[in-house]
Amino acid sequence: MSMIFNENDKTYDMQSRAEMALYEVIDPELMVNIMDLGLVYEINFPEENKVQVVMTLTSQFCPMGDAIKTGVQNALETEFPGIEIEIELTFSPAWNYDCVSQEGMMQLQNR
Amino acid sequence: MGEINIGKAPGNKAVLPFYATGAVAFLVLCIVMLCTPQSFTQHYFTPHLLTIVHIAALGWGTMVIFGAAHQLLPVICEQDLYSEKMASASWYTLTAGIILLTWKFWNLDVGWMMITGGSLIVFSVLLFVINVWKTTQICTRYTAQKLLITGSAFWLLFTVSVGLLLAINLSLTTPMFRVSHLEVLKLHAHMGIAGWFLQLITGVSTKLVPMFLLGKSSKEYLLRNAFIFQNLGLILFLTDGYFFAVTGRVLIYAAIVLAGIIFWLLYLYDVFRNRLRKRIELLMKHTFLSFLSLILAVLLIPAVYYSDGYRFTMVYGTLIFLGWITNIILGKTFKTLPFIIWNNQYKHLSGKLKIPLPKDLYHEKLTIWQFRLFIAAFLVFALGLVLQHLTVIRIGLVLWLAVAVIYCLNVFKLLFHKTKI
Repeated sequence: MSMIFNENDKTYDMQSRAEMALYEVIDPELMVNIMDLGLVYEINFPEENKVQVVMTLTSQFCPMGDAIKTGVQNALETEFPGIEIEIELTFSPAWNYDCVSQEGMMQLQNR
Repeated sequence: MGEINIGKAPGNKAVLPFYATGAVAFLVLCIVMLCTPQSFTQHYFTPHLLTIVHIAALGWGTMVIFGAAHQLLPVICEQDLYSEKMASASWYTLTAGIILLTWKFWNLDVGWMMITGGSLIVFSVLLFVINVWKTTQICTRYTAQKLLITGSAFWLLFTVSVGLLLAINLSLTTPMFRVSHLEVLKLHAHMGIAGWFLQLITGVSTKLVPMFLLGKSSKEYLLRNAFIFQNLGLILFLTDGYFFAVTGRVLIYAAIVLAGIIFWLLYLYDVFRNRLRKRIELLMKHTFLSFLSLILAVLLIPAVYYSDGYRFTMVYGTLIFLGWITNIILGKTFKTLPFIIWNNQYKHLSGKLKIPLPKDLYHEKLTIWQFRLFIAAFLVFALGLVLQHLTVIRIGLVLWLAVAVIYCLNVFKLLFHKTKI
């Protein structure tokens, strides 16, 4: 599952920047970034000074869940200083192997 | 932030002291074994062997498993741990109880100190059982893992309670049991092995191995069967052994438990076949070898039962405590502890700075040596036991000490890690 942003959307640049920032957030157990793992479902900018991320975890009580959420918060704060950040966790749909990108799959298979 | 509760890891006091004490106990165990190699060439009911077995079962195995269970119960039950204070209190009482008990076992100094030690252990286990029970009861979703872990906790309580009665029995002039002390000792040992360790490891491994391998299995019925057969075999063995006698029928009960083990391993094999992570890590190899040891131990039961002397009893005990339980802990420690330490020290920096990963917090190369030395130690020691050759046993024990030193170096490197950025 990969996110596709609309190039004509006025927040396209911001979405791309947020996406790149989130590539820096690594799942410490799997050692793969959360974008390639397919943990991020949506990145939206509903208001000028607000970013909303809809994401999941590999399981609800994933021992690294809190660390990953903190990582998302920190990465976005660094990329967009002073912006309001809303992280919405969802388990519907639940994460599954189909969410992992080809790059992520290659990394997983070598780790 | 989202409203969904993703839980929080329990505080350090509920987990880390158990890992630290367990590592020290493993080192002490290897030193004590090296000091008394002749214990492995005699009857199993000797003061020194009693000390060794209880350091191994309680100080090493149970101690580390308590710590890991406090950390993993929230993951398995998808709920926060019921009480961190209770978890912490169970460490104090377990540690004090083990020190008293093993100290008094050394010279078989029967009396109130030994009984106090046993009572402290029972109290500690009671706290653990309440914590497990309360945590699993909040969890509304039924899983076979929950059943296995709760069941194992109750088996442990039963085991240590019978152990306490055995300690009291030693100081009585009129025995309290209808069968001999040694017969009850066999039942006590197997409650611990097949009730506590086996069912706990079955429950936890079927949650952790899929997480580590990114694998899955839809064959839940295998786990239900594992629970039924492991318990059925054990209950039949205990009932028959206590009310009648430990006879050749133990082979039937062992076969039933073996069926339970096979159901469990078939589930794990299905996970293994359906995994995303193809590379098998060294630490997972420890786990696979541990399963092999367990199977060999069960297959050795006819030899233990029918042969004269105690060499096969010694090999059986070694396969259980060193080949299976120690092996699985040696591997799983570095699949859990680095993450606990990392969460404490680096979680808040995640996504902000370039930070080390959990695997960078310990010496990975040392784990390679730990694995190699483990294999050498196990094989040499087992050979010494089969041959009943004191020099070979001694060499094996020196190798075991080397394994323990390497393990402790890595565990304490992790425990004393300071944030580096």
